[in-house]
Amino acid sequence: MKQRTLTIGLVILFVALAVSAQFGLVDRYIQSVIMLMGVNIILSASLNIINGYMGEFSCGHAAFMCVGAYVSSILSVLLFADNPFLGAPLLPAYLSVVLFPVVALIGGGVAAVSGLLVAIPSFKTRGDYLAIITIAANYIVISAVENLEVIGGPRGFMGMKQVVRAMDSVAKLPWMVIWVALGAWFSVFLIRRFVSSTYGKGAVAINQDEVAAEIMSINTNKIKVAAFMLSSGLAGVAGALFAHQYGYVNAQSFNILKSTECMVMVYLGGMGSLSGSVLSAVLFTLLLEVLRPLQIIKWVIVPLILILLMQFRPEGIMGNRELPDFFPWMRKFYRFK
Amino acid sequence: MSETLLEVKDLRVAYGRIEALHGVSFSVNQGEIVTLIGANGAGKTTTLTSIARLPPPEAPKVASGDILYRGESILGVPPHDVVSKLNVALVPEGRHIFGNLTVEENLTLAAYPRRKAPASEAEAAFKTVYDLFPRLAERRRQRSEQLSGGEQQMLAVGRALMSNCQFIMLDEPSMGLSPLLMQLVFKTLRQLNEEQGMTILLVEQNANMALRLAHRGYVLDTGEIIAEGSADELMDDPEVKKAYLGG
Repeated sequence: MKQRTLTIGLVILFVALAVSAQFGLVDRYIQSVIMLMGVNIILSASLNIINGYMGEFSCGHAAFMCVGAYVSSILSVLLFADNPFLGAPLLPAYLSVVLFPVVALIGGGVAAVSGLLVAIPSFKTRGDYLAIITIAANYIVISAVENLEVIGGPRGFMGMKQVVRAMDSVAKLPWMVIWVALGAWFSVFLIRRFVSSTYGKGAVAINQDEVAAEIMSINTNKIKVAAFMLSSGLAGVAGALFAHQYGYVNAQSFNILKSTECMVMVYLGGMGSLSGSVLSAVLFTLLLEVLRPLQIIKWVIVPLILILLMQFRPEGIMGNRELPDFFPWMRKFYRFK
Repeated sequence: MSETLLEVKDLRVAYGRIEALHGVSFSVNQGEIVTLIGANGAGKTTTLTSIARLPPPEAPKVASGDILYRGESILGVPPHDVVSKLNVALVPEGRHIFGNLTVEENLTLAAYPRRKAPASEAEAAFKTVYDLFPRLAERRRQRSEQLSGGEQQMLAVGRALMSNCQFIMLDEPSMGLSPLLMQLVFKTLRQLNEEQGMTILLVEQNANMALRLAHRGYVLDTGEIIAEGSADELMDDPEVKKAYLGG
């Protein structure tokens, strides 16, 4: 029963969040920060699979986020919104509530397939090549989207607010807060299951010693591809949530700077620590908001924090440990592995 | 004459434009200990990693020739299947143990190829390894990076035995070991061969020790087999004596 405490706690937190958003106890701004936090949790936890657990170096996480954002946005606008290019909504508005998670998952699925396209050529070789290939993939995706006039090109793509309005027409609830919370929960749950499975352990073995992993009969290629697809797929889900939260996407929001943010969160939290990733995503989001009044100077302070981190705590906040390793009393409520 | 287990036919392997093996041929029969001796850069390790089918950069693509195991070509077999399906284990050069895991965790991980078999098999394998190397049993809870070089080598051999292997390939197991520990490891290899009928392919620089253990041997020099024969013949061969046994 005690093992369920965490789940119950999260349910209470989510309900409290939804209720306070519903009755206007927290304003729109705080809601948007909370949603951004949720998206960032998905991004950092999913990138941690590759850069943390597997020890590879992927620098283009935002590319997969972009794929997920665009695919899910186009799909949802096609189905539930009136768009000059895509025409009248294909399905009645009440289905939007049921189908939104499906649309987000399709976005994630397409992102996972694009992750596979990047993974296959890059895993023929090892090490730095993945970094170069993923950076290139990031640029390719952005240029492709910017040059597709059908989906708005550099002007971006909008209409997702109508989809949210379609959901509102069913019941007036803070839908996006709910979806982001559920998405973050789903992602962290999935990643936790993955890293404690033989796949996750195989990924850690690859990180430690790839030759040893091979001669222990671990199918390293299969694990690498699975890890990469899961990671990019979840980034796609994060992109889908991000796009519907703002109601507008633009290719430049997924540029190399966004990928860098994802990496900062992974290294801040600790490579190979899931609770570290969640924690650092929350901290990083808050930090960016707190530093907002500094405007452009923010982009001096954030890299400075990274430099200081590498100097004084190179393993990140958590190292490769989890919260219960620091606070043993938590084990009573929550077992990681 | 017993059955041929492994046959390497005219194997040519090149790192980029530099050919490391210029057509190496040899065979290992069931139940035999065969040693491959040679100096640094002779191509011994490349031969083993090629048989284990390790991916580049450890083993480059085979340019020509063939590797037959139980009469079938294994060139298309991925490395994880060499261990789990063909039951061929490799003790790599430099041991490659997982330093941050304990001895027991390393061995547990090495039982991964047996994951579909009943748990009793893995338990039996644990017993075999701990009987062969009592030192490992003493240190089962210790992180393996804290072990001495000799103990790490025992762990590397023990780890290979945790898979369901019938054929074990060792790459310079004597490297960095004191003569006494070396003897211990070699004694264990003989024991494995005599008691369990384990087929062993041993790559060594220490020709003297290797030939004393092996039934047959091959001498590899800059990518070519220059001499072969029974261990006794090779020991008496004046060329081998001059080159490797110090007169």
